Amino acid sequence: MLRILRTTSFRFTLIYVVLFAGAVALLGAYLYSATFGEAAKQTDNVIDSEIGVLADLFSSSGSGMLTRVIRQRTAWSDDAIYMLIGAPSGAVLAGNLTALPPEALTAEGDFFNFKFEKPLLDAAGREVGIQQREARGKMMRFRASPDAEQSYLVVVARDVASREFLRERSQSVVMRAAMVTIALGVVIGLIFSRSLLRRVEVVNKTARAIRGGDLSQRVPTKGSGDELDDLGENLNSMLDQIERLMAGMREVSDNIAHDLRSPLTRIRNRLNDALEGDGEAKDEALRATIDDSEKVLATFNALLSIARIQSGEGAGAMAPVDIVAIAEEMAELYEPAAQDAGFEFTFITAPTPPVKGSRELVSQALANFLDNALKYAEGGTRIELKVGPTKNGGAVLSVADDGPGVAPENRERVLERFVRLEQSRSTPGSGLGLSLVSAIARAHGATLELQDGLSHQNDDGCGLRIVMTFAPAD
Amino acid sequence: MRILLVEDDAEAAAYVAKGLREAGHVVDHALDGESGLNMATSGGYDAYVIDRMLPKMDGLALLSSRRTEGDVTPALFLSALGEVDDRVSGLKAGGDDYLVKPYAFSELLARIEALGRRRATGPAEVTTRFKVGDLELDVLTRTVRRAERKIDLQPREFRLLEYLMRHAGQVVTRTMLLENVWEYHFDPQTNVIDVHISRLRAKIDKDFDKPLLKTIRGAGYRLSDAD
Repeated sequence: MLRILRTTSFRFTLIYVVLFAGAVALLGAYLYSATFGEAAKQTDNVIDSEIGVLADLFSSSGSGMLTRVIRQRTAWSDDAIYMLIGAPSGAVLAGNLTALPPEALTAEGDFFNFKFEKPLLDAAGREVGIQQREARGKMMRFRASPDAEQSYLVVVARDVASREFLRERSQSVVMRAAMVTIALGVVIGLIFSRSLLRRVEVVNKTARAIRGGDLSQRVPTKGSGDELDDLGENLNSMLDQIERLMAGMREVSDNIAHDLRSPLTRIRNRLNDALEGDGEAKDEALRATIDDSEKVLATFNALLSIARIQSGEGAGAMAPVDIVAIAEEMAELYEPAAQDAGFEFTFITAPTPPVKGSRELVSQALANFLDNALKYAEGGTRIELKVGPTKNGGAVLSVADDGPGVAPENRERVLERFVRLEQSRSTPGSGLGLSLVSAIARAHGATLELQDGLSHQNDDGCGLRIVMTFAPAD
Repeated sequence: MRILLVEDDAEAAAYVAKGLREAGHVVDHALDGESGLNMATSGGYDAYVIDRMLPKMDGLALLSSRRTEGDVTPALFLSALGEVDDRVSGLKAGGDDYLVKPYAFSELLARIEALGRRRATGPAEVTTRFKVGDLELDVLTRTVRRAERKIDLQPREFRLLEYLMRHAGQVVTRTMLLENVWEYHFDPQTNVIDVHISRLRAKIDKDFDKPLLKTIRGAGYRLSDAD
């Protein structure tokens, strides 16, 4: 429960409720002043003008006339209240109040509110009870002349009980509505927060499971495309990436175990033997050891590069690069070596849109393809480097040869495990070339594929074509 | 040349220093960044060889601080960090060259000597004509002659020869050629550079008595008139 109160959605709901309540209060205040405030002002105006009329009457026609008029008016109207008190006797001369309200004397000349008791009459005019009423009025003193000692007290008021009742009623209605609104807001906030918290809890549960070591866990998504689903999908693709990196690390450490352990063991054994041997044998052992350690260094460098590219560090800034220019440069770099090795080198090019990538890495991958063709296309006579566009605006780089090739059933394995096939274990090289290329392809979002290469002269099969396909640069 | 070597691995440093001394250079060695900076400040060096990751003061900081003082002594970074970005940050800090560990000693020696040469000619001086023995190269007219006979070269062969001539008399490694002539920073598995060299050699040496472009076993190549 406490967790719900701390959730963002609950806090948002609370803020919303407070703002909404504030807006309702403002609106209420405006309505109040526009209705009840206005009505109260009108009452006051009516009382003032009534007093004015009575004052004129008094100065022109005297107290007798005034008494008559007040009597008439109290008979006509039910909620108009008048009272005239004669001086100096203090007797009530006319009016429908039984006694002078005590508030009248203190507020002389100003408006005041007062309560009075009014007999409750039945249809036949008989008194059946007493009613508490509320009224608002003003009391003035009328004098026959400015310096006359005698004065008459006049009270003019209006019964406001029904209006006051309405005001109180509406006030309490508004208050109750506000309470209900706030309560509803809080409850809805709690419900929203709880369902949100539940979905977030699922993500947290997945995260905890992953932290516990189970990297295969994924955040379940509903497919509704809302922001939580979006978050889940992003988390999942991040996890995919992490899993790939971890797999890459494992692959690298497998390769380290395989490619470093054996030459190091060989070095140790050879040096052990050399300790026993004579001068000639020692020199031979040392030379072989130097060769082996060169190989270890080369392997180590390759592993380091792979790890770096896989962690995204080696990619440098991915900017649009002219892939045709890269292919041209590599063709120019490799053509002499290919010719010297007895290959006919063909470079096929077509206008290709630039791809997003690193010149250094793309050319390194291409150099690897060409190195591979030179090394493994034994008995072949042709190497072909090809660059061109894909249908959807990407680019495709490929290097083909007519060497022994790789049997179709082995191609997937070559790409997956990136190991050299057993038969070529004796050829020099770190054996990590394809691993490196695969890391480069991944860093570029490119795909790698092994296909049929150029067909053999005597038509008994074909060599290998390695194809790297780049997605369009957006 | 008088060389300041700043390297925290004492054994590696001793190996490098020994090799450089055998090649006829004077070597001072500092084990950390601060003492390296103090020694560099006292002056008198023809080249700095600085490890990037050093105790007390990072190699980049060391060199930038010297560069802001107006010190233009050529400097080579040694680093285990070998990606393009690391290289760029090394060159931005004022490094003239960058060598990634592990490296072959011959590679380091060739690069240090190339740096020393750059200083001797001076960076401001622009040479456009080069001559080694009877072989002449003119950068402006893009012509190459040997014994007054015009030799036609492909554009890349021309750049290759130009680089060799700029470093005449020095050993130039395959990696240096790949970096400076082709601008790539990776090692091909095959002998691509050797083939380019042999093609160039066929054009500039084949029809003449005295070969100028020599292969230095285990190191690289040298273009020189000497025997």
